[in-house]
Amino acid sequence: MPEEKSLLRLVVTKGILGAVIAVVVFVAAKLMHFPPVFQIMFMLYVLLGTIVYILLDAPALPSFTGAKAIAALVAFYALVSGAFIAGANVLPQYDPSVEKGKIDKIVKPKLAMTEKGKVDELLKRSEELNARSQAIMKRLETIGGAEVKSIAASTGSTGGAAAAKSAGGGGDLIALGKDQYELQECYNCHKIGGKGSVKKRGPILDNIGNLMKPEELKEKLLNPRAWMAEGFDKEYAKKLMPDKYKELMADQEVDALIAYLSSLKDTSVETPKPIKK
Amino acid sequence: MKIWRLKAPGGSSAARWMQWRTNTSGLRMPRFAVSSGVTAAFAVTLILLLGVAAAYAQLPEPKAHTFPLGGNRAAVWVVAQLHILFAAFILGAPIFIVVSEILGWLSGENYAARYRYERLAKEVTKVTVILYSMTALTGGLFIFVLLATYPQFTAWLINHFFAVFAIIYPLLFIAETIILYLYWYTWDALQGPKKGRHIALGALLNIVGLVTLFVIDGPTSFMNTPVKSAEGLDLKTFIETTATLWDKMDNYTWWPLNIHRTVGNVVFGGFIAGLIAAYMYLASKTDEDRAFYDWFGFVGNMIGVGALLVLPFAGYLLAYELCDYDASICPYMMADQLSMFFEMQGAMVGLIFLASNYYIWLSMKRIEGIERIRMSLATLLLMVSVPVVFMMVWTKFPIPDKMAFIIPAVYVGAWLLIGKIIPWTVSSQTMVKVAFLMVIIGNAIWMTPHAFVATQALAPDDGSLSLPHGEVSLGFITISWDMLALMPAKNAAAFTLVFVTIINYIMYNRALRNGRIIWGKIDFVSQFVLVFLAFSAIWTMGLMGVVRELTRKYFHVFNLQYDFTPESFTPTLAYSSWLITGITVTFYIIVSFAIVLTLRTGKDKAVAEVPKAVPVPAGAK
Repeated sequence: MPEEKSLLRLVVTKGILGAVIAVVVFVAAKLMHFPPVFQIMFMLYVLLGTIVYILLDAPALPSFTGAKAIAALVAFYALVSGAFIAGANVLPQYDPSVEKGKIDKIVKPKLAMTEKGKVDELLKRSEELNARSQAIMKRLETIGGAEVKSIAASTGSTGGAAAAKSAGGGGDLIALGKDQYELQECYNCHKIGGKGSVKKRGPILDNIGNLMKPEELKEKLLNPRAWMAEGFDKEYAKKLMPDKYKELMADQEVDALIAYLSSLKDTSVETPKPIKK
Repeated sequence: MKIWRLKAPGGSSAARWMQWRTNTSGLRMPRFAVSSGVTAAFAVTLILLLGVAAAYAQLPEPKAHTFPLGGNRAAVWVVAQLHILFAAFILGAPIFIVVSEILGWLSGENYAARYRYERLAKEVTKVTVILYSMTALTGGLFIFVLLATYPQFTAWLINHFFAVFAIIYPLLFIAETIILYLYWYTWDALQGPKKGRHIALGALLNIVGLVTLFVIDGPTSFMNTPVKSAEGLDLKTFIETTATLWDKMDNYTWWPLNIHRTVGNVVFGGFIAGLIAAYMYLASKTDEDRAFYDWFGFVGNMIGVGALLVLPFAGYLLAYELCDYDASICPYMMADQLSMFFEMQGAMVGLIFLASNYYIWLSMKRIEGIERIRMSLATLLLMVSVPVVFMMVWTKFPIPDKMAFIIPAVYVGAWLLIGKIIPWTVSSQTMVKVAFLMVIIGNAIWMTPHAFVATQALAPDDGSLSLPHGEVSLGFITISWDMLALMPAKNAAAFTLVFVTIINYIMYNRALRNGRIIWGKIDFVSQFVLVFLAFSAIWTMGLMGVVRELTRKYFHVFNLQYDFTPESFTPTLAYSSWLITGITVTFYIIVSFAIVLTLRTGKDKAVAEVPKAVPVPAGAK
């Protein structure tokens, strides 16, 4: 083995070399049009490399035992733990509130459909009714007949408004369908309006409304083997499109999604042709 | 080369060996009965709890409790991971122990080798038995916390795997406990011509341990990939009415998980053995002990790294099956909510490979005559070209296309042939330094994503920085370089790390055969590398365990049993890192305590009086 250099000398010589390489890498990454964050990442790798090459030639660490060894170990654990936590914190963080909103929309209706959900809902309603009737009784006891009429009228009008809203019911089916598209995370494989999967897992859907009838779209959604997009033979063979939506989505949700997809008629975007299988 | 040989000034080597055996057998067993008793108590507790769990599962509508600190999910997370870490060690270590015992047995008349392998096996067994108690304790706690916090789902799961939870698993646990006792208590009785029987007992312990792991992997993997009906029945109807217990066990990811966990346990066992060695090396007061624990650490690291080389591929198989089961899992892992978890994994894998290769380098540095070791220039060129060439091949022929295996095999074979023909060589120093460069480059490729963004699922084509939900984006890789972010590049990067490590080991092996090594004289910093390797491996296991669990999204059982609790969302990487670090540190404190308790306080005259070992030239009798 060659004669060992002092640590300081090593740090200086390798540090200078590392700095030169870092500049070269930075400029090269810039010229190759890597975004700034990638340029920083490559420079961090040069820094890591510099540390590694310093360590490779560093003089041997003198041995120690007893309290000094224990203290060194504890400090080392603290350093490593801190470094791992810092590394994880530096990376971009997903905002859970986005997913919470989605989960609420998906899971709450399912909970309502379970026996427990039904019982909970009934209990909640009966508690609300109970509270309301108690409030009415209280007011009846304290105020006169004119007030009673007013309460009755106000209760009736509220109920009427609610009923009207419910009858109006469906609201904007296409908007609900768009909501379903996001809730079911279809964008992980498909693209609409240039947004969605960066990988070519599934076809672009911008003009799918002109290429498939609503019943055909529904057939594809509920039975992915029924149709294949042109140029997606491998994906079709691998059965990439999950066949779970008939089980996980309610009829109204399916209808809304189909309404949304049927509304996509942008002829300017090349959309793969569907092939019946 | 010098290897360990016994210098026996006061008598023959064989006599000293027999003396050591007599000393250790007389002095160590009674003390150990305490920990074995504790183990038995914990094992019985676990089995009782399993019985309680099975009975509790029959109760109608049990009520959920809210865990006061951190919530129910965090409580289950902490206890489950601690249990898995202890279980991983008690399953991984026996593989290590029996292999060591076999190597000692095969050493025959080479009493020095026999002694050190035997001592290694015995010391790791001592720590294993203590940690076995902790496995049972945390297992019991796990069931208790699950029942208290998720009673309805736990009841549902127990009902679906009743035979597993109420009969098979407890019986296997009892069998494993009994065999572990037998293995330990018969250690000295089954020596000499009876050694084969003791090894057979160790092998049986491993078989039962592995079967136990496979059995409990059934419900675990079922939660990720519940078996689908071949007859076209919907999932719920099939699982609730038609599916047999075997159908549920034998799901998509059962075997991939079995393989991944088995390999992972060996890695774990190896690195924890390295940790034991590092602690004992730091505490050693004699050259004899330092020499032994230096060698001990070397063996632990070698086994850990050896299994680590297979681990990325076992992980890939598991991920492949998850994606094959439901393609929506893949983008969730790699491009959506969990994408930065995989960035972190990339960083951890890079650090582990750097550290393990650094340990090899430190070990090589003290070999006298290393400067004479040379490698073919063709091997160096092969190593340098691997990431680019393999990335191109796997882009053109994606795995599992057969050409994806044939072309790389031919490529490697051709370079090795060129190396035999062309006599140009490079020094081991140059080779190692280029190898480190390739580890750094390989890891940089592994770490290059499409974008540094928490979710890129809704990423616009033009790479603009604003995302629909206001997530922070730090720029997208340009189209001309996006191949670096694709799977072929990741595979090539993983292969580079593995390939470089293999080359380093080949070189190390050559140095060992042709040079002279003195155990106990390794750079002191190497012990911190061993500690780092164990810590990083455990942390990475924790991280990837979280990823596997989170792929169920807002389901307890994917696509089947919804998680209606408010904690069914994906936690942030930052939050997860705090929990994972806390769990790792807790595990470390307990393991450190177990090592100190069993090995440091157990240091007695028997060990102090073992024959001194000095290096002598290899081949000398």
